[in-house]
Amino acid sequence: MSTLSPGACRLRVRYAKDGRLAHLGHLEVMGTIMRSVRRAGLPFEVSEGFARRMRIQFSQALPVGASSVAEYYDLLLPEPIDAAQALEELRASTPSALAPTAAKLLPRRMPALEAWANRATWDVEIACTTDEAQAFPSELARTRERGYLDFMRGDKPRHLELGPTLVSCEVLSSACGLRLALDTRTTEQGSLRPAVLVQAVMGRPPVRVCRLGQWHEAEDGNLLDPMA
Amino acid sequence: MRLPREDLFWRIEPLLGSVERPSRYLNHEWGAIEEQDGPFHACVMYPDIYDVGVPNLGLAILYDELNRLKGVSCERAYLPWVDMCSLMRENSIPLLSLETSSPVASFDLVGISLAHELVCTNVIEALDLAGITLLAEERDEDEPIVIAGGPSAWNAEPLAPIFDAILLGDGERAVSRIALTVRDARTEGVPRTEVLRRLSGLEGVYVPSLYEVVIDETSTRWGYAVPKTGSDAPAIIRKHCIAHLKETEPVAQRIVPYLSVVQDRLTVEILRGCARGCRFCQAGMTYRPVRERPADQVLEAVERGLQTSGYDECCLSSLSTTDHSQCAGMLHELHENLSGKGIRVSIPSQRLDSFGVDMASAARSSRKAGLTFAPEAGSQRLRDVINKNVTDENMDSAARNAFSNGYRRMKLYFMMGLHTETDDDLRGIARMAERVVGIGREMLGPKSKVTVALSASVFVPKCHTPFQWEGQLPLEETHRRQRVMLEAATDRAVRISYHDAETSLVEGALSKMGRKGFDLVLAAWRHGCRFDAWTDQFDFESWRQAATDIGLDLEDIACERFDLDARLPWDHTSPGVSKGYLQREWRRALEGMTTEDCTMGSCTGCGVCPTLHVSNDLAGERA
Repeated sequence: MSTLSPGACRLRVRYAKDGRLAHLGHLEVMGTIMRSVRRAGLPFEVSEGFARRMRIQFSQALPVGASSVAEYYDLLLPEPIDAAQALEELRASTPSALAPTAAKLLPRRMPALEAWANRATWDVEIACTTDEAQAFPSELARTRERGYLDFMRGDKPRHLELGPTLVSCEVLSSACGLRLALDTRTTEQGSLRPAVLVQAVMGRPPVRVCRLGQWHEAEDGNLLDPMA
Repeated sequence: MRLPREDLFWRIEPLLGSVERPSRYLNHEWGAIEEQDGPFHACVMYPDIYDVGVPNLGLAILYDELNRLKGVSCERAYLPWVDMCSLMRENSIPLLSLETSSPVASFDLVGISLAHELVCTNVIEALDLAGITLLAEERDEDEPIVIAGGPSAWNAEPLAPIFDAILLGDGERAVSRIALTVRDARTEGVPRTEVLRRLSGLEGVYVPSLYEVVIDETSTRWGYAVPKTGSDAPAIIRKHCIAHLKETEPVAQRIVPYLSVVQDRLTVEILRGCARGCRFCQAGMTYRPVRERPADQVLEAVERGLQTSGYDECCLSSLSTTDHSQCAGMLHELHENLSGKGIRVSIPSQRLDSFGVDMASAARSSRKAGLTFAPEAGSQRLRDVINKNVTDENMDSAARNAFSNGYRRMKLYFMMGLHTETDDDLRGIARMAERVVGIGREMLGPKSKVTVALSASVFVPKCHTPFQWEGQLPLEETHRRQRVMLEAATDRAVRISYHDAETSLVEGALSKMGRKGFDLVLAAWRHGCRFDAWTDQFDFESWRQAATDIGLDLEDIACERFDLDARLPWDHTSPGVSKGYLQREWRRALEGMTTEDCTMGSCTGCGVCPTLHVSNDLAGERA
């Protein structure tokens, strides 16, 4: 096991995923951000072993096509740096649609971000007729009553329990049909993707999905902000 | 038809959720030039998907140079993958550029890169999707001027009816002259024919419509091209050649893609041209003379390129990187500068005879995934025939250097179907691979998991090489020889792969044909052929049927030998290497006589230097 330098810490960065870059896959976002970090000239730890890579952790993958205002990554640093200055440098070196919006130094030893941020809220827009909009709440209730979703991810069948993964779903009206304010939880079994839920209820995907926030749900039920 | 210039991203955006890897179509990558004010608009196109086209250094050079020209803007276009092509056709969306999502048919100038013969059907697919009139002579006055260039332009006759002009040789400066000539002519309002006449006066520019094909007793059945009566086009178009690589921008590649592409790294061209004289190698003949970029320029470029791109890998690219007179020093310095930064330095396949201990040690900063060498043939006799001046001792020495520096895997490239090849030569390929495995086990222990990946391509005779008169192996014989090689390898640490014989046959046919080849390409495209370089897309039966449709047979074309004195379909183009030199080399090949590298010995009389008024430009002394 490698030993940490006394000043080792992590730079947590919040960033958006917007515009046409919503169509990037998670690996593509990771690659783009790692290159942005290199362009910014920030120091970072490099992994040991066969392929020496930048040590960086990302929050949970955002589905292709979904935008977000609250994505996070932790860059592992050998020594502390000025977070405000790092944020400026990252802004200048990152495509604007993935622009960082906040940065903060945190202790080096922390749980991995991907597992830690286990709650998310979503804004989901659905194009539908008035009749479909009126029928949606009851269709949703029926789906929740059934308690699970069976769906395909790629060519693999998946099964997801709704009880633990769907915290709440508020149905709102919108100009093009409906909007959902979704609150989801990631469990060991998996996480609920808004598009999967809408597909199950409506038979077609939503027109727009945006992740509004991510939190850690503490044992007492309190939600912890990643930047707090 | 010339389409209006307008941003049509809104038309493809709804399709992105239905296609594989939508990030191919997003544009706005880091380094892309978004200000495209023109007023003269050029578009450089790679006729394959984004993932393959983005790393192409030639296109990056042209993009960079054209965008530096005042009043000229340059965008990129790639052929959408089959899923997106189908959706675009269904929705009547034309092929779009990347930067502004404008129809490719709205540009003033469209330049298409010809990387290899198998892109032929993709070129037709791209122009058809763009809505640009396929045949150059039928294009409207205001349609784009469509030009081509690249390694496969040396026998562009099978696509000649498509192109208004074809650039032969180095693109630097020549592409600017072409753009400015077209712009000025358009500004003056001269007719299209006059634009083309002016282009034909530029160095290295071939305008096919000014030539006609003559078939007579001095030619092959494909004929030869001569200027039309009354045309003042040159009888022979010599390539455009820059004298010094160091006078070009070393970091031409500025665009950093979002998605993982082939060769996903910074590429710095450290050397252009190769004078080793391998007799099968088209690039070795057409990229002469040898021009090295000095080490200090390379080191500065790598540092700058990595900083501005954010890549974690840098490739020192060329036809023969380890031949660079300062290669070992550069690798050593890069290793020193980049250690601890998680950055890899890679070099393309290495020459066996120039891969010394120092080189192996310096290349360690690259992933120890393996090293690649290209002995090309399995016996010394055959290596002498092809003028691959490496020996078994070179192979053994390179293997020892590699294994002693921690490498466990090695890739060896060979060709099969070379002239005078025997079954024993093929068995020699397997023997060589097994010997390398043996050296690895001897040095690292019997359980060291040393492996050798052996890749054997099918020899395809290419124009402007000493083997251009040679025929290709018939299909059945290729399959038999592949079996001979496979059966000769008994060690499981040797993994053998070989190129598809049918694909190579199509490549061979297109490499031999003159303008008549266009009928074949068009017929194949009408049979649904496209993305022929993709194994899962290539459909040999459709190609065979296409040939039958026009009264030809693919095997008959590819396997035909040409008379040494015959006038060839590409004789009107010249990379500077004289036909007399190629004939001499062909005769020496038959006698098993080798020819030395003029950068390490005396002039071999290829004709490039006096013809093009250039010379080898080395940064130091070559060993």
